[in-house]
Amino acid sequence: MDLIHPMDKLEVAKALRQATADRKRLLVVGGRTHVDKGEPCEVDAELWTTQLDGLVAYEPAEMIAVVEAGMRVGELDRILWDGGQEWPCDAPPRATVGGVIAAAATSPRRLRVGPIRDTVIEMEVVTGDGRLVRSGARTVKSVTGYDLHKLMTGSLGTLGVIVQVALKVRPRPRSRRSVRVAGGLEVGRRLLDAVPGPTAVLAMPEVVELRLEGWPEETERQVEATDRVAPVTVVTEEGAFPFERPWEASAVIAEAAVPPSRLAEFLTRPFHDLPGPHLGSWGALLGVGIAWVGLSSSDGDLEALRTRARALGGIAPVVKGPGGLGNDVPPGLDVHRRLKASFDPAGVLAPGRFWGGI
Amino acid sequence: MADVDAARRELEEALGTTEVLSDPLALTLYARDAAMVEGGCALVAFPHTVEDVVACMQVAARHALPVVPRGSGTGLAGGATPIGDALVVVTSKMDRILEVRPEDRLAWVEPGVLNLDLANAVAPLGFTYAPDPSSQQTCSIGGNVNTNAGGPHCLAYGVTSSHVLAVDVVLPDGTVERFGSEAPEAPGYDLRGILIGSEGTLGIVVGACVRLTPEPPAVRTMLLDFSAVKDCAATVSSIIAGGVVPAAVEMMDHGIIVAAESFAHAGYPTDAAAVLLVEVDGLPEAVEAQSRAVENAARDHGVRTIRVAADDAERALLWKGRKSAFGAVAQIAPHYHLHDCVVPRSKLVDVLAGVYEIAGRHDIIVTNVFHAGDGNLHPLLSFDRRIPGTLERVLSASEQIVRLCVNNGGSLSGEHGIGLEKRDFMPLMFSEVDLGAQACVRAAFDPEGRMNPHKVLPAGARCGDFAMARGTDAAQAAQSIPEGSWI
Ligand SMILES: Cc1cc2nc3c(=O)[nH]c(=O)nc-3n(C[C@H](O)[C@H](O)[C@H](O)COP(=O)(O)OP(=O)(O)OC[C@H]3O[C@@H](n4cnc5c(N)ncnc54)[C@H](O)[C@@H]3O)c2cc1C
Ligand SMILES: Cc1cc2nc3c(=O)[nH]c(=O)nc-3n(C[C@H](O)[C@H](O)[C@H](O)COP(=O)(O)OP(=O)(O)OC[C@H]3O[C@@H](n4cnc5c(N)ncnc54)[C@H](O)[C@@H]3O)c2cc1C
Repeated sequence: MDLIHPMDKLEVAKALRQATADRKRLLVVGGRTHVDKGEPCEVDAELWTTQLDGLVAYEPAEMIAVVEAGMRVGELDRILWDGGQEWPCDAPPRATVGGVIAAAATSPRRLRVGPIRDTVIEMEVVTGDGRLVRSGARTVKSVTGYDLHKLMTGSLGTLGVIVQVALKVRPRPRSRRSVRVAGGLEVGRRLLDAVPGPTAVLAMPEVVELRLEGWPEETERQVEATDRVAPVTVVTEEGAFPFERPWEASAVIAEAAVPPSRLAEFLTRPFHDLPGPHLGSWGALLGVGIAWVGLSSSDGDLEALRTRARALGGIAPVVKGPGGLGNDVPPGLDVHRRLKASFDPAGVLAPGRFWGGI
Repeated sequence: MADVDAARRELEEALGTTEVLSDPLALTLYARDAAMVEGGCALVAFPHTVEDVVACMQVAARHALPVVPRGSGTGLAGGATPIGDALVVVTSKMDRILEVRPEDRLAWVEPGVLNLDLANAVAPLGFTYAPDPSSQQTCSIGGNVNTNAGGPHCLAYGVTSSHVLAVDVVLPDGTVERFGSEAPEAPGYDLRGILIGSEGTLGIVVGACVRLTPEPPAVRTMLLDFSAVKDCAATVSSIIAGGVVPAAVEMMDHGIIVAAESFAHAGYPTDAAAVLLVEVDGLPEAVEAQSRAVENAARDHGVRTIRVAADDAERALLWKGRKSAFGAVAQIAPHYHLHDCVVPRSKLVDVLAGVYEIAGRHDIIVTNVFHAGDGNLHPLLSFDRRIPGTLERVLSASEQIVRLCVNNGGSLSGEHGIGLEKRDFMPLMFSEVDLGAQACVRAAFDPEGRMNPHKVLPAGARCGDFAMARGTDAAQAAQSIPEGSWI
């Protein structure tokens, strides 16, 4: 397989013009931590973004950082740390900013920090046929034309190569505590109601982990509120969140999304309808509706999981291992096709990787 | 030429005769929104149901009528101002709150529901709908969605797009789709995200699933008063730079303070050069800590007095002054023209000075009341357009203000949108290629270019080079505004 490793956005544009002329199919690759997400697709070459790793502008007082999309998340973390701020994606340090955005992965802290799409305010993208297009603005608010960056977020590299982004960042909370208690979904639900303003309530089969952030007096009070519901067994200051992600040991991980109130139904209804080995380990973000579910294979179990997710109004794409996204048809399929035809007219960007065969 | 009579008959059949208007008074009434420009239309329809809206789209498609969606008509960019033989589809009779579901922190509403009605309906359950435009008593959720509306409390809570989980949309070909989901992720591209802020150019929103925000346990509202505008503006960036993001930071200058005070009697200091209305919320401990930080920043910049609202009544009064400010400036002169640029917060001091300078040079009264925490300026030009030459001066000053903001790294609009009034400024911010790509997004939803033509994109923006198969020429033709159709 060919490898294209451009130095800057002009080289990306040139590479894509060439690819379009030659009908050469490409997979965009950043940190390669999440390339399993997507339908299987055949490509002729990989385009690596990792040399586009420059800092373009960062003014802490503006709470905006502008970076090239191949910058590693770990590097951005370090830069923002010095400004007392963070971009709360929580992806592995070697993941790239562009990859996080293109995969629209969920941060375990989404309850408080929101989805990644809300942090992207300006973007430069190279389309499939090699045009450099910018949208948005480097201001915290802007209603100025169509937000192409929304379209690119979660597009899995099928509409264009994200080359640069302006990110809305947030002050790093003065106090950050991770807390663990015994229990499962039910205890988690009670904590979600009882603890004021938690940053995350992550329920697993036997434990619940909470992330509490804010002023020191505030997190103090949140820990007390937690303890009243279930005795706190571990508290760490500054520590990682979550303590561990047991589902990551599984061969296949689905990242299910269902309406938050349906999580319990999604995870606890007896899984006797599953043909294969039962559900492995899982972690559910209460109040958000995301559940990471570990499976031993993508055979029968995955289909059963997807059927259940669909019945509850959700989806269950795989983010690790085989299994793809699932066969849910995206609403407005014609609109999707026209968008793909406009932005990638020769169909060189990972054809077939996206939902709906796009 | 569209057969308007035939279209009217078909609409009357589908919606009932009372729900279709074409008399001159109605056509004049719906020829504009709250912006300066005035247009014209052929028909006005008032759907009650999704099926009614589908019928409107189908009739318009059959007769090649442009379609202009309209909520409450409070828009300030001319987004709902029709041009030519348009069918205006007013969604204000679709005004039911369909479902409030606290366990999912969401509500389903029809597009005509008024922003404040939604907030009031969920308040007894301990929730609020966070985006709170100053026009919230009258503007609709459908309009909010399509302008990606903001409000004072969007500083900490985010603008409309952060609070809309899904939208039900009737596309120009009459099909109905749901973009987004009650679940946190949905299959496909984020068409929900593209639709929000699209100013009625992609389809008609017939339902929205909005996120509800729990009321904060504690709130504190403060009025900080300054003897110099620059100290007031500098306090804003200094609060944020200190790592504190209050729920709201609103600024009012002297002219606004005086006008608002004589209207609301909120006890604003009428001798101040500028005031900041700051609100912090959260747990009581956080409110305490944030207040301290705000007060320290203000003292560093020579604040004269700090008034803290003692109770809910005083808090409401302080906000009443702010929220009625636009109405209150009617005392200054009969007409106003409002801008909505956003600049980096660190540029507030310089840009404000520039705005006063430009207004002075054009001999126009300018007042400022705006979302300072977001850097979202609202320079308000007051004038009497019956005086010859005034309008020209206003338009010239406007253009200079917009250029000043963009040259300082700003954006054309923070929340009101581009509509008709700002579309010709778009090339200040975007290249031809950028605008071409935007035109492609529009064409993907509306290949025939009938949805709210003339809005958002300037006349030259083409998707053509992006290999769109059809419709682009028609779309282009529709983009040039007929001569003489507006002031
Ligand atoms: C152990 C583990 C934990 C994780 N935890 C989190 C978490 O907490 N939060 C979180 O957000 N994510 C998490 N992830 C997911 C993931 O690491 C990142 O979100 C991100 O998607 C990966 O970035 P990457 O650079 O590795 O992308 P890649 O894996 O290289 O690519 C991912 C997808 O994005 C596309 N892509 C990459 N770069 C671009 C670009 N510049 N333009 C267009 N398309 C592009 C690729 O084509 C591919 O479809 C986790 C992953 C692992 C393995
Ligand atoms: C005094 C005053 C104060 C204001 N303060 C603020 C403020 O603080 N923040 C702010 O953001 N705005 C503010 N505005 C502007 C205005 O209120 C907002 O833009 C509001 O969102 C418009 O809502 P509306 O229902 O009046 O929409 P309209 O004016 O009717 O329409 C606005 C746009 O949305 C489209 N549209 C409306 N309904 C639909 C639908 N169902 N489907 C598809 N498209 C639709 C229209 O075509 C148009 O392009 C203010 C206006 C006034 C007059």
